[in-house]
Amino acid sequence: MSAYGTTRHQSTVTGPYTTPASTILFRRLSWEGTVPLEIRVDSKELPDNSDRGLECYYIQAPRVAYLPLLLPSIKNYLMDVVFDETAGKTLKEEDWWFENEDGTLLKWHWPIGLIYDNHTISSKSLSNAAALADATAPLRIIMHLASPPADKLLMQPNPEACKQAFMGQMKEADFIRWGNTKRMTSIRKQEQDGMWEGVKDHNFDEYWRVASKIIPTTSPVRPQSPPPSSSVSMHTRPPSADGALPSDKDGAYNVRSVPVRIYLPDGPVLQDLVPPLLEDGSPHTLSRYLSHLIPLLFPPKPSTTTTAARPPLPASFPGGRPSTTPSASDARSSMAFALIQGVLAPGESEMAWLGACLTGADGWLNVCVGLRTDHR
Amino acid sequence: MTAADLADPPTEALAALQTYKQKDPLKVVVLFKAIGNAPILKQKFYKITAANRFQAVIQFLRRELGYKPGDPLFTYINNAFSPAPDDPVINLYKSFSTNDHLIVCYSTTAAWG
Repeated sequence: MSAYGTTRHQSTVTGPYTTPASTILFRRLSWEGTVPLEIRVDSKELPDNSDRGLECYYIQAPRVAYLPLLLPSIKNYLMDVVFDETAGKTLKEEDWWFENEDGTLLKWHWPIGLIYDNHTISSKSLSNAAALADATAPLRIIMHLASPPADKLLMQPNPEACKQAFMGQMKEADFIRWGNTKRMTSIRKQEQDGMWEGVKDHNFDEYWRVASKIIPTTSPVRPQSPPPSSSVSMHTRPPSADGALPSDKDGAYNVRSVPVRIYLPDGPVLQDLVPPLLEDGSPHTLSRYLSHLIPLLFPPKPSTTTTAARPPLPASFPGGRPSTTPSASDARSSMAFALIQGVLAPGESEMAWLGACLTGADGWLNVCVGLRTDHR
Repeated sequence: MTAADLADPPTEALAALQTYKQKDPLKVVVLFKAIGNAPILKQKFYKITAANRFQAVIQFLRRELGYKPGDPLFTYINNAFSPAPDDPVINLYKSFSTNDHLIVCYSTTAAWG
Protein backbone atom coordinates (compact mmCIF):
# COMPACT_ATOMS: atom_id res chain seq x y z
CA MET A 1 0.00 0.00 0.00
CA SER A 2 2.90 2.32 0.66
CA ALA A 3 3.40 2.71 -3.07
CA TYR A 4 0.16 4.65 -3.19
CA GLY A 5 1.09 7.00 -0.38
CA THR A 6 1.73 9.85 -2.78
CA THR A 7 -1.94 10.11 -3.72
CA ARG A 8 -2.53 11.89 -0.44
CA HIS A 9 -1.99 15.19 -2.20
CA GLN A 10 -4.40 16.53 -4.75
CA SER A 11 -1.72 18.20 -6.80
CA THR A 12 -1.74 16.11 -9.94
CA VAL A 13 -5.45 15.75 -10.63
CA THR A 14 -7.56 18.84 -10.75
CA GLY A 15 -11.10 19.42 -11.87
CA PRO A 16 -14.19 21.36 -10.94
CA TYR A 17 -14.59 19.09 -7.93
CA THR A 18 -12.48 18.89 -4.84
CA THR A 19 -11.55 15.27 -4.84
CA PRO A 20 -10.93 13.81 -1.39
CA ALA A 21 -7.72 11.86 -0.97
CA SER A 22 -9.57 8.65 -0.18
CA THR A 23 -11.51 8.89 -3.44
CA ILE A 24 -8.28 9.35 -5.36
CA LEU A 25 -6.80 6.38 -3.52
CA PHE A 26 -9.64 4.06 -4.54
CA ARG A 27 -9.58 5.39 -8.07
CA ARG A 28 -5.89 4.66 -8.25
CA LEU A 29 -6.29 1.18 -6.77
CA SER A 30 -8.93 0.42 -9.41
CA TRP A 31 -6.82 1.93 -12.14
CA GLU A 32 -3.66 0.02 -11.21
CA GLY A 33 -5.53 -3.29 -11.06
CA THR A 34 -4.27 -5.89 -13.51
CA VAL A 35 -5.37 -9.39 -14.50
CA PRO A 36 -3.27 -12.35 -15.72
CA LEU A 37 -3.91 -13.44 -19.30
CA GLU A 38 -2.54 -16.36 -21.27
CA ILE A 39 -2.95 -15.67 -24.97
CA ARG A 40 -2.35 -18.70 -27.15
CA VAL A 41 -2.35 -18.61 -30.93
CA ASP A 42 -4.76 -21.21 -32.32
CA SER A 43 -2.41 -24.05 -33.21
CA LYS A 44 -4.33 -24.78 -36.42
CA GLU A 45 -3.63 -21.26 -37.63
CA LEU A 46 0.07 -21.04 -36.84
CA PRO A 47 1.97 -20.26 -40.04
CA ASP A 48 4.56 -22.67 -41.40
CA ASN A 49 7.97 -22.55 -39.73
CA SER A 50 6.57 -21.11 -36.52
CA ASP A 51 8.45 -21.99 -33.38
CA ARG A 52 5.85 -24.23 -31.81
CA GLY A 53 5.79 -24.55 -28.08
CA LEU A 54 6.30 -20.83 -27.64
CA GLU A 55 3.00 -19.63 -29.11
CA CYS A 56 1.76 -18.48 -25.72
CA TYR A 57 1.97 -14.88 -24.65
CA TYR A 58 1.57 -14.04 -20.97
CA ILE A 59 0.68 -10.60 -19.71
CA GLN A 60 -0.61 -8.87 -16.58
CA ALA A 61 -3.03 -6.62 -18.45
CA PRO A 62 -4.53 -3.46 -16.96
CA ARG A 63 -8.19 -3.91 -16.04
CA VAL A 64 -9.03 -0.61 -17.73
CA ALA A 65 -7.42 -1.62 -21.06
CA TYR A 66 -9.10 -3.25 -24.06
CA LEU A 67 -8.01 -6.26 -26.09
CA PRO A 68 -7.24 -4.25 -29.26
CA LEU A 69 -4.76 -2.21 -27.22
CA LEU A 70 -2.72 -5.35 -26.51
CA LEU A 71 -2.21 -6.13 -30.18
CA PRO A 72 1.09 -4.24 -30.64
CA SER A 73 2.83 -6.01 -27.77
CA ILE A 74 1.42 -9.40 -28.78
CA LYS A 75 2.62 -8.78 -32.31
CA ASN A 76 6.12 -7.83 -31.16
CA TYR A 77 6.36 -11.00 -29.14
CA LEU A 78 5.15 -13.23 -31.96
CA MET A 79 7.48 -11.61 -34.48
CA ASP A 80 10.47 -11.95 -32.18
CA VAL A 81 9.93 -15.46 -30.98
CA VAL A 82 7.36 -17.45 -32.93
CA PHE A 83 6.93 -16.41 -36.55
CA ASP A 84 9.55 -16.45 -39.24
CA GLU A 85 10.03 -13.44 -41.50
CA THR A 86 7.76 -14.62 -44.29
CA ALA A 87 4.87 -15.24 -41.94
CA GLY A 88 5.49 -11.94 -40.19
CA LYS A 89 5.06 -10.07 -43.43
CA THR A 90 1.79 -11.68 -44.45
CA LEU A 91 -0.09 -11.56 -41.16
CA LYS A 92 -2.24 -8.53 -40.44
CA GLU A 93 -3.29 -7.40 -36.97
CA GLU A 94 -6.64 -6.28 -38.38
CA ASP A 95 -7.56 -9.94 -38.83
CA TRP A 96 -6.79 -11.00 -35.29
CA TRP A 97 -9.52 -11.80 -32.79
CA PHE A 98 -10.01 -13.61 -29.50
CA GLU A 99 -12.10 -16.34 -27.91
CA ASN A 100 -11.97 -17.95 -24.50
CA GLU A 101 -11.47 -21.69 -24.13
CA ASP A 102 -15.21 -22.39 -24.32
CA GLY A 103 -15.33 -20.75 -27.74
CA THR A 104 -17.02 -17.60 -26.46
CA LEU A 105 -16.08 -14.59 -28.50
CA LEU A 106 -14.35 -11.94 -26.39
CA LYS A 107 -15.71 -8.47 -26.93
CA TRP A 108 -13.41 -5.76 -28.20
CA HIS A 109 -15.36 -3.03 -26.49
CA TRP A 110 -15.43 -4.57 -23.00
CA PRO A 111 -12.70 -3.54 -20.56
CA ILE A 112 -10.31 -6.44 -19.93
CA GLY A 113 -11.14 -6.39 -16.21
CA LEU A 114 -14.80 -6.92 -17.06
CA ILE A 115 -13.96 -9.80 -19.41
CA TYR A 116 -11.94 -11.38 -16.62
CA ASP A 117 -14.57 -10.93 -13.89
CA ASN A 118 -17.33 -12.08 -16.22
CA HIS A 119 -15.34 -15.24 -16.88
CA THR A 120 -14.82 -15.74 -13.15
CA ILE A 121 -18.54 -15.69 -12.37
CA SER A 122 -19.34 -17.86 -15.38
CA SER A 123 -16.83 -20.61 -14.68
CA LYS A 124 -18.04 -23.04 -12.08
CA SER A 125 -14.67 -23.98 -10.67
CA LEU A 126 -13.99 -20.48 -9.46
CA SER A 127 -17.38 -19.36 -8.34
CA ASN A 128 -16.69 -20.00 -4.69
CA ALA A 129 -16.31 -16.62 -3.13
CA ALA A 130 -13.55 -17.80 -0.84
CA ALA A 131 -11.47 -19.03 -3.74
CA LEU A 132 -11.61 -15.63 -5.40
CA ALA A 133 -9.35 -13.96 -2.91
CA ASP A 134 -6.25 -15.70 -4.20
CA ALA A 135 -7.38 -16.47 -7.71
CA THR A 136 -4.24 -15.95 -9.72
CA ALA A 137 -4.99 -18.35 -12.53
CA PRO A 138 -4.67 -16.64 -15.88
CA LEU A 139 -7.66 -16.30 -18.14
CA ARG A 140 -6.87 -18.55 -21.08
CA ILE A 141 -7.51 -16.85 -24.39
CA ILE A 142 -7.29 -18.32 -27.88
CA MET A 143 -6.11 -15.89 -30.53
CA HIS A 144 -7.11 -16.36 -34.13
CA LEU A 145 -5.08 -14.89 -36.96
CA ALA A 146 -7.69 -14.74 -39.72
CA SER A 147 -11.37 -14.25 -40.62
CA PRO A 148 -12.70 -12.14 -37.75
CA PRO A 149 -16.48 -12.71 -37.42
CA ALA A 150 -17.46 -9.06 -37.96
CA ASP A 151 -21.15 -9.82 -37.43
CA LYS A 152 -20.48 -11.10 -33.92
CA LEU A 153 -17.74 -8.68 -32.91
CA LEU A 154 -20.24 -5.93 -33.81
CA MET A 155 -17.47 -3.51 -34.63
CA GLN A 156 -14.39 -3.15 -36.76
CA PRO A 157 -11.56 -4.89 -34.93
CA ASN A 158 -9.23 -1.92 -34.65
CA PRO A 159 -8.21 0.54 -31.93
CA GLU A 160 -10.06 3.45 -33.60
CA ALA A 161 -13.42 1.65 -33.43
CA CYS A 162 -12.59 0.72 -29.85
CA LYS A 163 -11.99 4.40 -29.08
CA GLN A 164 -15.34 5.38 -30.62
CA ALA A 165 -17.09 2.76 -28.51
CA PHE A 166 -15.29 4.06 -25.42
CA MET A 167 -16.44 7.63 -26.13
CA GLY A 168 -19.98 6.37 -26.68
CA GLN A 169 -19.92 4.68 -23.29
CA MET A 170 -18.57 7.83 -21.63
CA LYS A 171 -21.44 9.84 -23.11
CA GLU A 172 -24.05 7.26 -22.21
CA ALA A 173 -22.80 7.26 -18.62
CA ASP A 174 -22.87 11.08 -18.60
CA PHE A 175 -26.48 11.01 -19.84
CA ILE A 176 -27.42 8.50 -17.13
CA ARG A 177 -25.95 10.77 -14.46
CA TRP A 178 -27.41 14.09 -15.52
CA GLY A 179 -30.00 13.54 -18.23
CA ASN A 180 -27.75 15.20 -20.82
CA THR A 181 -24.20 14.94 -22.14
CA LYS A 182 -23.19 18.54 -21.49
CA ARG A 183 -20.18 17.61 -19.42
CA MET A 184 -18.80 15.43 -22.17
CA THR A 185 -19.61 17.77 -25.03
CA SER A 186 -18.26 20.83 -23.22
CA ILE A 187 -14.72 19.51 -23.12
CA ARG A 188 -12.58 19.95 -26.20
CA LYS A 189 -11.93 17.08 -28.57
CA GLN A 190 -8.26 17.26 -27.66
CA GLU A 191 -9.10 16.65 -24.02
CA GLN A 192 -11.48 13.82 -24.89
CA ASP A 193 -8.67 12.23 -26.87
CA GLY A 194 -6.42 12.74 -23.84
CA MET A 195 -8.65 10.47 -21.80
CA TRP A 196 -8.32 7.72 -24.37
CA GLU A 197 -4.56 8.24 -24.51
CA GLY A 198 -4.55 7.83 -20.73
CA VAL A 199 -6.30 4.47 -21.10
CA LYS A 200 -3.93 3.43 -23.89
CA ASP A 201 -0.83 4.38 -21.92
CA HIS A 202 -2.30 3.17 -18.62
CA ASN A 203 -1.55 6.63 -17.28
CA PHE A 204 -3.67 7.50 -14.25
CA ASP A 205 -2.88 11.24 -14.20
CA GLU A 206 -3.41 11.71 -17.92
CA TYR A 207 -6.80 10.04 -17.77
CA TRP A 208 -8.11 11.62 -14.56
CA ARG A 209 -6.92 15.11 -15.50
CA VAL A 210 -9.88 15.15 -17.89
CA ALA A 211 -12.12 12.45 -16.45
CA SER A 212 -12.43 14.29 -13.13
CA LYS A 213 -14.43 16.93 -15.03
CA ILE A 214 -16.95 14.27 -15.99
CA ILE A 215 -17.05 11.59 -13.31
CA PRO A 216 -18.40 13.16 -10.10
CA THR A 217 -16.58 12.82 -6.86
CA THR A 218 -17.75 12.23 -3.33
CA SER A 219 -18.01 15.38 -1.32
CA PRO A 220 -15.53 15.81 1.55
CA VAL A 221 -18.36 16.37 4.04
CA ARG A 222 -19.73 12.90 3.47
CA PRO A 223 -18.20 9.72 4.78
CA GLN A 224 -16.12 8.42 1.90
CA SER A 225 -16.35 4.76 2.45
CA PRO A 226 -19.40 3.22 4.00
CA PRO A 227 -18.17 2.27 7.45
CA PRO A 228 -20.78 -0.05 8.95
CA SER A 229 -20.99 1.86 12.21
CA SER A 230 -21.93 5.16 10.56
CA SER A 231 -25.03 3.91 8.78
CA VAL A 232 -27.32 4.91 11.62
CA SER A 233 -26.17 8.51 11.71
CA MET A 234 -26.41 8.77 7.94
CA HIS A 235 -30.00 7.69 7.95
CA THR A 236 -30.91 10.48 10.31
CA ARG A 237 -29.14 13.13 8.26
CA PRO A 238 -30.84 14.15 5.04
CA PRO A 239 -28.50 15.31 2.28
CA SER A 240 -29.84 18.84 2.39
CA ALA A 241 -28.50 19.21 5.92
CA ASP A 242 -24.93 18.90 4.73
CA GLY A 243 -24.45 22.63 4.30
CA ALA A 244 -24.06 22.19 0.56
CA LEU A 245 -20.67 23.11 -0.78
CA PRO A 246 -20.68 25.02 -4.07
CA SER A 247 -19.66 21.91 -5.97
CA ASP A 248 -21.95 19.58 -4.08
CA LYS A 249 -24.75 19.80 -6.63
CA ASP A 250 -22.32 18.22 -9.10
CA GLY A 251 -21.32 15.57 -6.61
CA ALA A 252 -21.76 11.81 -6.73
CA TYR A 253 -24.73 11.90 -4.35
CA ASN A 254 -26.64 14.39 -6.53
CA VAL A 255 -26.64 12.58 -9.84
CA ARG A 256 -29.96 11.55 -11.35
CA SER A 257 -28.73 7.98 -11.49
CA VAL A 258 -25.46 6.07 -11.10
CA PRO A 259 -24.33 4.32 -14.32
CA VAL A 260 -24.37 0.65 -13.27
CA ARG A 261 -24.54 -2.60 -15.19
CA ILE A 262 -25.17 -5.95 -13.53
CA TYR A 263 -23.68 -9.02 -15.23
CA LEU A 264 -25.12 -12.47 -14.49
CA PRO A 265 -23.26 -15.76 -15.17
CA ASP A 266 -23.31 -16.63 -18.90
CA GLY A 267 -26.24 -14.37 -19.15
CA PRO A 268 -28.02 -11.15 -19.40
CA VAL A 269 -26.72 -7.71 -18.58
CA LEU A 270 -29.18 -5.76 -16.46
CA GLN A 271 -29.39 -2.01 -16.31
CA ASP A 272 -31.87 0.30 -14.68
CA LEU A 273 -31.94 3.72 -13.09
CA VAL A 274 -30.06 3.74 -9.79
CA PRO A 275 -30.73 6.89 -7.77
CA PRO A 276 -27.89 7.65 -5.33
CA LEU A 277 -30.30 8.34 -2.48
CA LEU A 278 -33.53 6.63 -1.45
CA GLU A 279 -36.75 8.49 -0.89
CA ASP A 280 -36.00 8.93 2.80
CA GLY A 281 -32.67 10.57 1.94
CA SER A 282 -30.53 7.64 3.02
CA PRO A 283 -27.85 6.39 0.62
CA HIS A 284 -28.83 3.68 -1.84
CA THR A 285 -26.70 0.63 -1.08
CA LEU A 286 -25.53 -2.26 -3.20
CA SER A 287 -27.53 -4.85 -1.25
CA ARG A 288 -30.66 -2.71 -1.50
CA TYR A 289 -30.24 -2.36 -5.27
CA LEU A 290 -29.49 -6.05 -5.84
CA SER A 291 -32.43 -7.19 -3.73
CA HIS A 292 -34.63 -4.83 -5.73
CA LEU A 293 -33.31 -5.88 -9.14
CA ILE A 294 -32.71 -9.61 -8.60
CA PRO A 295 -34.59 -10.51 -5.40
CA LEU A 296 -34.45 -14.25 -6.04
CA LEU A 297 -30.66 -14.16 -5.76
CA PHE A 298 -30.48 -11.46 -3.09
CA PRO A 299 -33.67 -11.94 -1.04
CA PRO A 300 -34.67 -8.72 0.72
CA LYS A 301 -34.29 -9.08 4.45
CA PRO A 302 -37.54 -8.60 6.32
CA SER A 303 -37.20 -5.44 8.36
CA THR A 304 -37.46 -5.68 12.13
CA THR A 305 -40.07 -2.93 12.11
CA THR A 306 -42.55 -4.96 10.09
CA THR A 307 -44.66 -7.33 12.13
CA ALA A 308 -45.23 -10.01 9.52
CA ALA A 309 -42.25 -11.42 7.68
CA ARG A 310 -42.97 -11.18 3.98
CA PRO A 311 -41.56 -13.61 1.43
CA PRO A 312 -39.24 -12.18 -1.25
CA LEU A 313 -41.25 -10.45 -3.92
CA PRO A 314 -40.62 -11.42 -7.53
CA ALA A 315 -39.67 -8.41 -9.61
CA SER A 316 -39.82 -5.36 -7.46
CA PHE A 317 -41.24 -4.22 -4.20
CA PRO A 318 -43.09 -1.06 -3.28
CA GLY A 319 -40.92 1.95 -2.64
CA GLY A 320 -42.60 2.43 0.70
CA ARG A 321 -41.23 -0.76 2.10
CA PRO A 322 -38.68 -0.22 4.86
CA SER A 323 -35.10 -0.46 3.67
CA THR A 324 -33.18 -3.65 4.08
CA THR A 325 -30.66 -3.85 6.86
CA PRO A 326 -27.55 -5.30 5.27
CA SER A 327 -24.65 -6.60 7.28
CA ALA A 328 -21.67 -8.81 6.71
CA SER A 329 -23.62 -11.82 7.93
CA ASP A 330 -26.36 -11.14 5.40
CA ALA A 331 -23.80 -11.19 2.63
CA ARG A 332 -22.58 -14.59 3.80
CA SER A 333 -26.03 -16.10 3.88
CA SER A 334 -27.10 -14.96 0.41
CA MET A 335 -26.99 -17.23 -2.59
CA ALA A 336 -24.88 -14.93 -4.70
CA PHE A 337 -22.01 -12.50 -4.41
CA ALA A 338 -21.05 -9.29 -6.19
CA LEU A 339 -17.65 -8.63 -7.73
CA ILE A 340 -16.58 -5.09 -8.55
CA GLN A 341 -13.13 -4.57 -10.10
CA GLY A 342 -12.33 -8.12 -9.00
CA VAL A 343 -13.14 -7.35 -5.37
CA LEU A 344 -15.98 -8.88 -3.35
CA ALA A 345 -18.13 -5.85 -2.65
CA PRO A 346 -19.82 -5.50 0.76
CA GLY A 347 -23.57 -5.10 0.59
CA GLU A 348 -23.51 -1.87 2.56
CA SER A 349 -21.39 -0.11 -0.11
CA GLU A 350 -23.19 3.01 -1.26
CA MET A 351 -23.99 3.13 -4.97
CA ALA A 352 -22.91 6.77 -5.29
CA TRP A 353 -19.59 6.03 -3.62
CA LEU A 354 -19.02 3.01 -5.86
CA GLY A 355 -19.84 5.13 -8.92
CA ALA A 356 -17.28 7.73 -7.90
CA CYS A 357 -14.48 5.47 -6.69
CA LEU A 358 -14.68 2.06 -8.38
CA THR A 359 -16.02 3.07 -11.76
CA GLY A 360 -14.32 1.78 -14.91
CA ALA A 361 -12.47 4.10 -17.25
CA ASP A 362 -15.56 4.31 -19.46
CA GLY A 363 -17.56 5.77 -16.56
CA TRP A 364 -19.55 2.61 -15.85
CA LEU A 365 -19.72 0.66 -12.62
CA ASN A 366 -19.65 -3.01 -13.60
CA VAL A 367 -21.02 -5.44 -11.03
CA CYS A 368 -20.50 -9.14 -11.80
CA VAL A 369 -22.84 -11.40 -9.85
CA GLY A 370 -21.75 -14.99 -9.22
CA LEU A 371 -23.47 -17.88 -7.46
CA ARG A 372 -22.01 -19.14 -4.23
CA THR A 373 -21.21 -22.82 -4.01
CA ASP A 374 -20.87 -22.80 -0.22
CA HIS A 375 -24.41 -21.62 0.50
CA ARG A 376 -26.38 -23.74 2.90
CA MET B 1 -8.80 -25.64 -3.86
CA THR B 2 -10.91 -28.14 -1.97
CA ALA B 3 -13.64 -30.39 -3.28
CA ALA B 4 -16.25 -28.07 -1.79
CA ASP B 5 -15.04 -25.27 -4.03
CA LEU B 6 -15.92 -27.30 -7.08
CA ALA B 7 -19.41 -28.13 -5.94
CA ASP B 8 -22.37 -27.01 -7.99
CA PRO B 9 -24.23 -23.96 -6.75
CA PRO B 10 -27.44 -24.93 -4.94
CA THR B 11 -30.41 -25.80 -7.13
CA GLU B 12 -32.34 -22.91 -5.66
CA ALA B 13 -29.74 -20.43 -6.87
CA LEU B 14 -29.57 -22.00 -10.32
CA ALA B 15 -33.36 -21.86 -10.60
CA ALA B 16 -33.30 -18.22 -9.57
CA LEU B 17 -30.66 -17.47 -12.18
CA GLN B 18 -32.72 -19.24 -14.83
CA THR B 19 -35.64 -16.91 -14.08
CA TYR B 20 -33.52 -13.91 -14.99
CA LYS B 21 -32.25 -15.53 -18.17
CA GLN B 22 -35.71 -15.92 -19.66
CA LYS B 23 -36.32 -13.57 -22.53
CA ASP B 24 -38.97 -11.03 -21.77
CA PRO B 25 -41.57 -11.01 -24.59
CA LEU B 26 -42.28 -7.34 -23.84
CA LYS B 27 -42.29 -4.97 -26.80
CA VAL B 28 -41.42 -1.30 -26.59
CA VAL B 29 -42.06 1.60 -28.95
CA VAL B 30 -39.09 3.04 -30.81
CA LEU B 31 -39.39 6.45 -32.47
CA PHE B 32 -37.03 6.99 -35.41
CA LYS B 33 -35.92 10.55 -36.17
CA ALA B 34 -33.87 11.49 -39.24
CA ILE B 35 -31.03 13.97 -38.74
CA GLY B 36 -29.54 16.17 -41.47
CA ASN B 37 -30.16 14.79 -44.94
CA ALA B 38 -30.93 11.24 -43.85
CA PRO B 39 -34.08 9.94 -45.59
CA ILE B 40 -37.28 10.14 -43.55
CA LEU B 41 -39.24 6.96 -42.91
CA LYS B 42 -42.95 6.85 -43.80
CA GLN B 43 -43.67 5.27 -40.49
CA LYS B 44 -41.84 6.63 -37.47
CA PHE B 45 -43.07 4.47 -34.60
CA TYR B 46 -42.26 0.78 -34.42
CA LYS B 47 -42.83 -1.85 -31.79
CA ILE B 48 -39.64 -3.79 -31.15
CA THR B 49 -39.01 -6.77 -28.87
CA ALA B 50 -37.25 -5.35 -25.83
CA ALA B 51 -35.02 -8.40 -25.35
CA ASN B 52 -33.35 -7.68 -28.71
CA ARG B 53 -29.95 -6.09 -28.79
CA PHE B 54 -29.57 -2.58 -30.18
CA GLN B 55 -27.85 -4.15 -33.19
CA ALA B 56 -31.26 -5.52 -34.20
CA VAL B 57 -32.66 -1.99 -34.21
CA ILE B 58 -29.81 -0.83 -36.46
CA GLN B 59 -30.40 -3.76 -38.82
CA PHE B 60 -34.13 -3.11 -38.87
CA LEU B 61 -33.54 0.54 -39.70
CA ARG B 62 -31.11 -0.35 -42.48
CA ARG B 63 -33.70 -2.66 -43.98
CA GLU B 64 -36.44 -0.02 -43.81
CA LEU B 65 -34.13 2.50 -45.46
CA GLY B 66 -32.99 -0.02 -48.06
CA TYR B 67 -29.36 0.52 -47.10
CA LYS B 68 -26.62 -1.87 -48.10
CA PRO B 69 -24.18 -3.14 -45.45
CA GLY B 70 -21.47 -0.71 -46.53
CA ASP B 71 -23.65 2.44 -46.57
CA PRO B 72 -22.81 4.76 -43.69
CA LEU B 73 -25.47 4.99 -41.00
CA PHE B 74 -24.97 6.45 -37.53
CA THR B 75 -27.51 5.95 -34.76
CA TYR B 76 -27.92 7.88 -31.55
CA ILE B 77 -30.18 7.75 -28.53
CA ASN B 78 -31.81 11.07 -27.62
CA ASN B 79 -29.56 13.07 -29.96
CA ALA B 80 -26.79 12.37 -27.51
CA PHE B 81 -24.76 9.16 -27.80
CA SER B 82 -24.29 5.90 -29.66
CA PRO B 83 -25.01 2.86 -27.50
CA ALA B 84 -22.97 -0.31 -27.74
CA PRO B 85 -24.54 -2.59 -30.36
CA ASP B 86 -24.92 -5.39 -27.84
CA ASP B 87 -26.87 -3.26 -25.36
CA PRO B 88 -30.30 -4.86 -24.88
CA VAL B 89 -33.11 -2.55 -26.03
CA ILE B 90 -34.84 -3.04 -22.67
CA ASN B 91 -31.86 -1.51 -20.84
CA LEU B 92 -31.85 1.53 -23.12
CA TYR B 93 -35.60 1.85 -22.80
CA LYS B 94 -35.51 1.73 -18.99
CA SER B 95 -32.80 4.35 -18.79
CA PHE B 96 -33.56 6.71 -21.66
CA SER B 97 -37.16 6.50 -22.80
CA THR B 98 -39.13 9.73 -23.19
CA ASN B 99 -42.94 9.57 -22.95
CA ASP B 100 -42.75 5.78 -23.29
CA HIS B 101 -40.73 6.01 -26.51
CA LEU B 102 -37.10 5.19 -27.10
CA ILE B 103 -35.94 7.94 -29.45
CA VAL B 104 -33.40 6.72 -32.01
CA CYS B 105 -31.92 9.42 -34.25
CA TYR B 106 -30.11 8.40 -37.40
CA SER B 107 -27.76 10.17 -39.73
CA THR B 108 -25.62 9.40 -42.77
CA THR B 109 -22.71 11.34 -41.29
CA ALA B 110 -21.24 11.30 -37.77
CA ALA B 111 -23.26 13.83 -35.80
CA TRP B 112 -22.35 13.53 -32.12
CA GLY B 113 -19.37 11.25 -32.66
